[in-house]
Amino acid sequence: MRAPHLPVMVKGPLLAAGLLVLFGALASQLVLRTLVATQERHLREMAALEFAGVEATIGPFVVRDDIWEMFDLLDRVTHREGSLRPVRATLVDPLGRSIVSSEPEIHPLGAQRVEMIAEATPVTAPHYDLSDGTVSLSKVLHHQGRTLGRLIIDFDTTGFVAERERTVAFLVIGNALATIIAALVGFLAIRHVLRPVARLTDAMGHGTDALQPISEETIPRGNPEIARLYDNYNRLVHAVEERNLTAKRMADRERFVSLGRLAGTLAHEVNNPLGGLLNTVDTLRTYPDRTDVVKSSADLLDRGLRHMRDVVRATLDTHRAAPEVRALSRSDFEDLNLLIRPEAERRGQELHWQVSLPGGGMDGVPAGPVRQIALNLLLNASAAAGYGGKIGLRVAHEADTIMLGIQDSGPGLPGPLRARLLSDAPVEPGGGVGLRLVRELVQGMGGQISLGSSPEGLNEIRVQLPLAHEGGRDA
Amino acid sequence: MSPRKDVMQLQRRTLLAGAAATVLAAPSLLRAQPAAFRFGLTPVFLDNDWQLLEYLRSHLSAEMRQPIVFVQRRTYQEVTALLLMGKIDAAWLCGYPLLQNLDRLAALALPLWQGAPHYQARIITAARRTVHDLADLRGDIHAYSDPDSNSGHLVTLSELLLRQQRPEDFFARSFFTYGHRNVVRAVARGLAQSGSVDGYVWDAMRRTEPELVEQTRIVWESEDFGFPPIAVTREAFETAQSRRLWVALEAMLRTDAGRRALEMLQLDGFVPPEAQSFDRIAARMKIVAERG
Repeated sequence: MRAPHLPVMVKGPLLAAGLLVLFGALASQLVLRTLVATQERHLREMAALEFAGVEATIGPFVVRDDIWEMFDLLDRVTHREGSLRPVRATLVDPLGRSIVSSEPEIHPLGAQRVEMIAEATPVTAPHYDLSDGTVSLSKVLHHQGRTLGRLIIDFDTTGFVAERERTVAFLVIGNALATIIAALVGFLAIRHVLRPVARLTDAMGHGTDALQPISEETIPRGNPEIARLYDNYNRLVHAVEERNLTAKRMADRERFVSLGRLAGTLAHEVNNPLGGLLNTVDTLRTYPDRTDVVKSSADLLDRGLRHMRDVVRATLDTHRAAPEVRALSRSDFEDLNLLIRPEAERRGQELHWQVSLPGGGMDGVPAGPVRQIALNLLLNASAAAGYGGKIGLRVAHEADTIMLGIQDSGPGLPGPLRARLLSDAPVEPGGGVGLRLVRELVQGMGGQISLGSSPEGLNEIRVQLPLAHEGGRDA
Repeated sequence: MSPRKDVMQLQRRTLLAGAAATVLAAPSLLRAQPAAFRFGLTPVFLDNDWQLLEYLRSHLSAEMRQPIVFVQRRTYQEVTALLLMGKIDAAWLCGYPLLQNLDRLAALALPLWQGAPHYQARIITAARRTVHDLADLRGDIHAYSDPDSNSGHLVTLSELLLRQQRPEDFFARSFFTYGHRNVVRAVARGLAQSGSVDGYVWDAMRRTEPELVEQTRIVWESEDFGFPPIAVTREAFETAQSRRLWVALEAMLRTDAGRRALEMLQLDGFVPPEAQSFDRIAARMKIVAERG
């Protein structure tokens, strides 16, 4: 799953905090290592002093087997105050027997204590384990060239452990505070730095909101970079507004161009039966008394006028300025057939018509825009196919979409026209009729346009319109 | 010569007469810048409490009209030797070394403890042990105080001999601590399982160091013995200096410093020795001596 997009004002402080945490962890590790080394050095120096002090004093007592003096000496050694104090001292003879201990109940006189020697750390060892709260250090004592035995002193290291814990707590709290402060400072700094950008973002609106220019009095002229940015933005806003106006004018013009072209067809369609109808009127005038002629003429007039009414209604439905929002149905394509057929026939073109829609209206697909899309594309197809060519319409209802396929046997959509239909590139004057209008209508309905070939090998412009769309805009 | 007869020589009248002479001679002594009186002490009996020594020094120097120097040694043997060699003028000794050197030394005064110049020897062990008699201590590591201490060595040796025991075999191991207080410490701390201690010191420590004494208890207690005396050489016994010392000791309750010193020592005063004061120590010595 993709991580949610975070705004820069959050990302910046997070990045600063993350870097600080990383730096803090490294620095803390360094501090702790140094602390451990310092504590070990401190203990080593203190232990060396203790061992030297005992060694300098205890020799004669060992030689004389003066148990009390040995005990008293070790007892005094273990009754020192301080964060690092010896808590127990035991002298073990070369055979591993306890000579005397400051804790005689634990190490009675003469008790075998070989294991105690094994467990103790020689005072010369490079590292001591201070984590247990006590550490046993040992040293062989000599007196006048004679080995007295091994002195083992247990040092209380709880002070060291507590110092480490205090240091760790201090580091954690300090780092946490520093991280929070850095994140906060980062947030404020980035917010301050990005405030002009945020203002620009607000002015640009969200989604379909229109771009809002930044008022002149709020442009910080003291900050040349930001002022230039806002000026450029305002110029962009004006350019976009002008482009939109131009596009609207173009669309309107295209609408009228297509309307004009259709009007020719319409006039032709009206004109064709008009001659016959006038002849029928003449016939009625000539033979007003002949019932059969009057009846057949009336029938002919009725058919001709109905046909004309249907053509006019279809045209009005397609180009109504503010058509009612009505769901698309099969009858809309019948109307389209009525409108395009005369154009095809005029050019001697073969018209393929294949509409596969379920009965009833297609909910969510407004009829008006679809009729305009199909009619514009069919008119273009007819123009492209030329005299005696083939054009066609294929309508299919797929899972969640309606597919319109407009086919022609022409040479295919040239580059400039293709750009009008498939991109938002600026419209060059002239060219394809209503193709940009088609694109805007399809986009407004949330649909897609693609180019391809029909099963019969004809060029095909495919328009996919989602059924769920409910807010289609009529052009 | 029996110890009893020698002690008998120390007559109270003699001491009082000497004291009077000392008082009369005082002005000339002051003018002569008298030499310091050297008083021998040992930690076997008396702990080295600075405050106590100050009170003692204050009282004795004022009463004797001469400076007092305390000479402290670790053992009775050392202090006894200094006294015999004339390096010190008097010493607070145990009755045992006094009797060992009775031909050269004499008791000048005996402290009063609980109203009498007597004390007992005690054998103590750890409070938690369930032993009831000296016989139960066989195989112990035993702490004595001083080889020349009556209560801290002689009594235990003689008692074992009386019970037909060989002292060198009875205890698994023994050592000297050179101090009755140290015996209590050794037993309380578990360095020794039992110890021979002065009954007066053990009792006095119950007030000064109760937490230490509470870790021990008495297994056996002896008969009464003459309290450790203030001893001088026989040749010095009749001197004016010794008389001044006796007067000063007798006057302990009359001066503030003297009373404070006695309070710290938990003693009631000083009395002249009686003829039979050390008879029982002599009897114990005889038991040991007869064993050879």
